[in-house]
Amino acid sequence: MDGILEQLKSMVLDFDINNAEKAAKDAIGAGVDPIEAANALTDGIQIVGDKFGSGELFLPDLVCASEVLKKAFPVINAEIEKRGEKAKSLGKVVLGTVFGDIHNIGKDMVATLLYAAGFEVIDLGINVNSEDFLKAVREESPDILAMSALLTTTSAEQKNVIEGLVKEGLRDRVKVIVGGSPINQEFADLIGADGYGATAPEGVRMVKKFLGIK
Amino acid sequence: MQKGFRRNFDPIRILTDSQVEQLHSSTLQVLDEIGFKYESDRALKVLEERGCIVDHDAKIAKIPPDIVEWAIRKTPSSFMVRARDPEKSIRLGGNTVYFMNSAGARYADVDTGKVSMPTLEQNNEAVIVSDALESVHCFPSYTPYFEIEGVPPVMSCPTSCAQRMRFSTKPSRGAQPTDSFIWETQLAQAVGAQLMGCVEGAAPLSLAEDPCNAAFYYLEAGFPIYIASGSLMGASHPITVAGATVSHNAELLAIIVLLQSIRPGSGVIANNFVSGMNMQTGDLNFGTSAVALHQMAYNQIWHDLYRIPINNTGSAFANSKMIDYQTAAEKLPVAMCSALSGANLIVLHGGITGELAYNPILAVIDDDVAKTIGKIIESFNITDDLIGLDIIRQVGIGGTFLGTKQTRTLWQTEDYMPKVYDKTTYQEWKNTGKKTVIELAREKMEEILATHKPDPLTDQQERDVEKLLREATEYYKNKGLI
Repeated sequence: MDGILEQLKSMVLDFDINNAEKAAKDAIGAGVDPIEAANALTDGIQIVGDKFGSGELFLPDLVCASEVLKKAFPVINAEIEKRGEKAKSLGKVVLGTVFGDIHNIGKDMVATLLYAAGFEVIDLGINVNSEDFLKAVREESPDILAMSALLTTTSAEQKNVIEGLVKEGLRDRVKVIVGGSPINQEFADLIGADGYGATAPEGVRMVKKFLGIK
Repeated sequence: MQKGFRRNFDPIRILTDSQVEQLHSSTLQVLDEIGFKYESDRALKVLEERGCIVDHDAKIAKIPPDIVEWAIRKTPSSFMVRARDPEKSIRLGGNTVYFMNSAGARYADVDTGKVSMPTLEQNNEAVIVSDALESVHCFPSYTPYFEIEGVPPVMSCPTSCAQRMRFSTKPSRGAQPTDSFIWETQLAQAVGAQLMGCVEGAAPLSLAEDPCNAAFYYLEAGFPIYIASGSLMGASHPITVAGATVSHNAELLAIIVLLQSIRPGSGVIANNFVSGMNMQTGDLNFGTSAVALHQMAYNQIWHDLYRIPINNTGSAFANSKMIDYQTAAEKLPVAMCSALSGANLIVLHGGITGELAYNPILAVIDDDVAKTIGKIIESFNITDDLIGLDIIRQVGIGGTFLGTKQTRTLWQTEDYMPKVYDKTTYQEWKNTGKKTVIELAREKMEEILATHKPDPLTDQQERDVEKLLREATEYYKNKGLI
């Protein structure tokens, strides 16, 4: 079993996306405890994350490692749920690009880095109107709502969503972080956001900070 | 008409003919096999009528190679953009090089690097400065600043356009987001000018509804179109220069197919705005060698094979937050490569701090940069008089050319002497206050603001502009966007 667990961890370190799903199925088929399998994958991504933080690895490495997890985890999580347990998550984040804005690279990077860090991520996509953000907060009860805007003409939408949260009595239930090129700390403070991330890695650090995770 | 700079030698070519063919063939394959997404039923209908294979549910059109090549042939190799002052009009294409002002979200303080929201007055002053700079031939949209204090975000494009119409007689580009093209078209028409209407795609391989609508609107107004597809190598485009060239070409040609299907023969300038990506932060990475190479390859293909006018935006911005050596190191090599390799329009003046900021002092410095580049590409003439064998004989061995008529009459045309660089001796520099190029450029900027008076609008034009801004405000209020 130890050998299989080590293989799962190495799969992440080797960015072996093509074999990830099969390897996860093989591991479950061999009787590996799915929680231990999940831990092995998480150990792998943690090493990648640490190396990214130290400058040894870069964003493409982190994203590729996350892709391994995205292939393997559905298999592992299905087995965990089959056994009546719950898959671990550091927290739940709803994110999206605001209405009128179709830019997705920054948002996708934040989503990937959050997933890699162990968060449950609900990505609403691009051009998301206020009501859809509010609906997601109502229904999913996330810890964090993260909004991206790349155009100055659409950054105001972030304010609209926050105002909507206040109006519906949802504001205290969720921390709001905003990001995107035209956004800065001053704007974030002005619109009542809890935090601002200038880059995708900073956004993830902010999420961890709000949830008291080191 | 503004003369611009005439490139008097063949553009630098970095690709072999076979490589050009390979890249073009791959581009056709992308459009034929993968297709392109147009988020507009109206656009898809036009494309289907043209002969594209359209999946209406997915909103994807596959474009056969013969249609792509038809669209390339239909696109003129040059076109005019009519300015408010006809003397300031420009003709884009061929071997003429113009420079376009850059832009930034906000104002950057040159002394501290602090970025802050500009006031309307700061915006207008920046327009006046660039109107005075000879090497700024035209403006992009929402320039110099994307944001202006007190202006609702949705009104920033129409307001910016209005201020450019008011404070400059040079041609301009129109924007596309949130129906701004409706107002910018009318603003330009109110003052008797054309715009280059922006139609910008979203890499990879798509065009949202707003730019599709902008395409129809601007073309109906008879305006030429400025196409673009800003992207990041390694994120929205392939990381390889070759792959990014193919992907980018496919996007721009897909837009051209739409434009020529709507109105055959329309003038188009194709903008290259492919940026590098900082693989540590995910941020834009300006001034890199990959960007320079990509633009050079792109320029060669669009100049030699497609013969469609070219814009390059790679030199528009620097990652540097201060006007310093890094700013020049990030902007100048890319601008020089653009000019040497076939660009017709190069975005340069004033952009700093990524796309986050702009400063008119940098625009003044960039005026000298642009003129230096322009002088280089205009090369030099060779005639018997200019060789001057008789003068060489006359000066002889050990003499001086300083007192010759040739030196006295030609030194200012044989070379370009920058106006704001510090060219003093060390002693003079010490004695005159140790001024840097920033201080000298600031003095020049203040002189411009004190003396330069762009031709004002007529009273009727001013009333029309004001009325249009009021109507635009009402329009966006009714849409709930203000």
